[in-house]
Amino acid sequence: MVEGRYFYPNATHFVEARAEAGEGRVLRIADGAGAVLAEVPGKAVRATARLASLPRRFDLPDGARFDTPDNDGADALLRALGKTVSGRITDRLERAWPVVILSLVITLAAGYYLLVQAIPAASEWLARRTPPAVAHIMTEQTLMALDRFALGPTKLSAADQARATKLFQDVAAHSRGGQGAYRLVFRHDKPGGVGPNAFALPDGTIVMTDSLWPLVKDDSEIEGVFAHEMSHVDHAHGLQRIYAASLFPAILALVTGDVSNVSQMTAVLPGIIAQSAYSRSFETQADDDGAATLRRMGLKPSHMADLLERIEKSVCKKDHPCVKSWLGDHPDTDLRAARLRHEDIGPIDDHLNCWEPWKTGISLRCLGFTAN
Amino acid sequence: MTHAVAFHGKGTEYFRIWIVNVALTVMTLGIYSAWAKVRTQRYFYGNTYLAGHSFEYHAKAWRILLGRAIALVLLVGYTVSAILLPVTMGMWILLLAAALPWLVRSAIRFNARNTSWRNVRFNFQASFFEAFMAYVVWSVVAVSVFPLIPYARRIHDYFYVNHHSFGGRKFATDFSVGRTYLIYLYGFLAIVALLVAIIAAAFAIISAQTYLHDFLSHIPFPAITLDYPVLTAVALGLGGLFVATFVATMVTNLVIGNTTLEGGHSLASNASPWRVGWIVVSNTVLTLATLGLFYPFARIRLARYRMGRYALHAASDLDDFTSEALAQQSAIGQEIAGFFDLGFGL
Repeated sequence: MVEGRYFYPNATHFVEARAEAGEGRVLRIADGAGAVLAEVPGKAVRATARLASLPRRFDLPDGARFDTPDNDGADALLRALGKTVSGRITDRLERAWPVVILSLVITLAAGYYLLVQAIPAASEWLARRTPPAVAHIMTEQTLMALDRFALGPTKLSAADQARATKLFQDVAAHSRGGQGAYRLVFRHDKPGGVGPNAFALPDGTIVMTDSLWPLVKDDSEIEGVFAHEMSHVDHAHGLQRIYAASLFPAILALVTGDVSNVSQMTAVLPGIIAQSAYSRSFETQADDDGAATLRRMGLKPSHMADLLERIEKSVCKKDHPCVKSWLGDHPDTDLRAARLRHEDIGPIDDHLNCWEPWKTGISLRCLGFTAN
Repeated sequence: MTHAVAFHGKGTEYFRIWIVNVALTVMTLGIYSAWAKVRTQRYFYGNTYLAGHSFEYHAKAWRILLGRAIALVLLVGYTVSAILLPVTMGMWILLLAAALPWLVRSAIRFNARNTSWRNVRFNFQASFFEAFMAYVVWSVVAVSVFPLIPYARRIHDYFYVNHHSFGGRKFATDFSVGRTYLIYLYGFLAIVALLVAIIAAAFAIISAQTYLHDFLSHIPFPAITLDYPVLTAVALGLGGLFVATFVATMVTNLVIGNTTLEGGHSLASNASPWRVGWIVVSNTVLTLATLGLFYPFARIRLARYRMGRYALHAASDLDDFTSEALAQQSAIGQEIAGFFDLGFGL
């Protein structure tokens, strides 16, 4: 016997009523006085799934309905009518605290796995399978956009260009891709733009800005920078960043299934943090590879550290300070320099530094992610 | 007679539903998300009461799943081709312009038709052309001519409200566009005030630090290095969220406050934009600080306040009104929920 309300067929008025399962799996609804209001075969009744403490509702074929806040009674009634109790399993899961805690663990583990393993792995998989023709088109378009806003034709002398190109080819010969895989182009950087810099584009084009050249005191310094950029090309880091940036919001929207005010804002910040963490891992990877290349050439990686520090000194002045940032897409220069100086002896074991997060910053490497 | 809306959902109850939903969604690689959506909607609708009766959500999960599968295929196709072959962008823009009105209309209609109160269903009826005008033509106009944004906003609001009906009774909203402009003016002034406040705060912090530095230079004192770019970005993000919520709440108050329902009834919405802004901003901070675990509590907290500020001014007895609507609905009931009704709302 389940207490509830009976709504007349296709009407909005109701009476207090009781429902019970009669013989032959018949649902019988009667009012307080015992007068039968409805009697229908259980098969023809449709019931809503159990959810928290929401009232259950039984729809009768003639348009009448019965609802009751007594969820356990409703379950028993449905079983007596020989019907499957839908939503019962999910409801049990939601009701049991151990399951809730297990769900919490699964969710956190899945979040960790997606962020640290799945998204980087998927991005790498996609990056490796991107046709070279596509990488070429992307490079052309990026360079075109940069030329319009931040860069201009180089002002370096032909002799300087020839010397840089010779050093570049030396490094390329010792890099993974070999001499044909990379191309060096020179650009003048407009004031307030990218500053003294070098960067790699998806198809192997490496751009060096004019203002970087005068900062170079020793050939091995710029060779280190070239080796670093060639590592970005070898691992298609640029493409990986693009793919990771598109995968992250898509997965988040799928899991939360809701794009409201809160979730939008709360999706943006973790996205930025994750992106810059991937980026910092790529930079460390490129530094390590660059150091390895320099060692193969019989040079010392610490030269690259000298140049990095000189660049920072030239860019960060008193009136225009550079602030250290955990949102940066490069690790802090002093960390990078210290690491490169250590690499004079040989490759370093990363995990030694992971117990000192103030030294490494928040690094995905320490969480188990190694960039490829 | 005025009937206030009340929301009875509980954070601890919804937390359990939510975390099980997320875990099952992750374990089924996203497939369960459609069932999760139905349970979530049922929970929120079922806990929203008007005049002693709750709303009900009736959508079938597989329809939502189908809608999402189609949306996902389109999204992946768009993302991949936009990155790899930017040439195809033109084709996608045309396709989107053609599909958007249809998608928006189906999404709103799906939601309306699957919502009921006292067994009477809502409905949404708009032509493709009307949707095209509102969501393609006016969106393009608003993006290209900024001063027309409030005007386009009113077009969207009219499109949304004036095509909704409840058991055959039409909703209608009507207000002067000057009031939308006034709200956007407030929003603009608030953004300006925000920028001024951030600059002033940065200036004050820097001068205070310089002053203290000179003053305390003899005492060994740990140097405090503040991360200005990050601080500025956070202040801008949260401030911007506050202003956006503030404006959205005022617009909702305006639109719903001027909405009538055939039969002499009218709706009211009097949420305080300050309060909603505060709730949304603090919800965001708490959600981020708890790695997302506060999210279900945040939704309940917002719904509790937001729903409680809606009301219905009924001109006549609601029993009679809904009975008539129901009688009319059961006469035409067959065409409700056509096969092509799919849940596209993500």
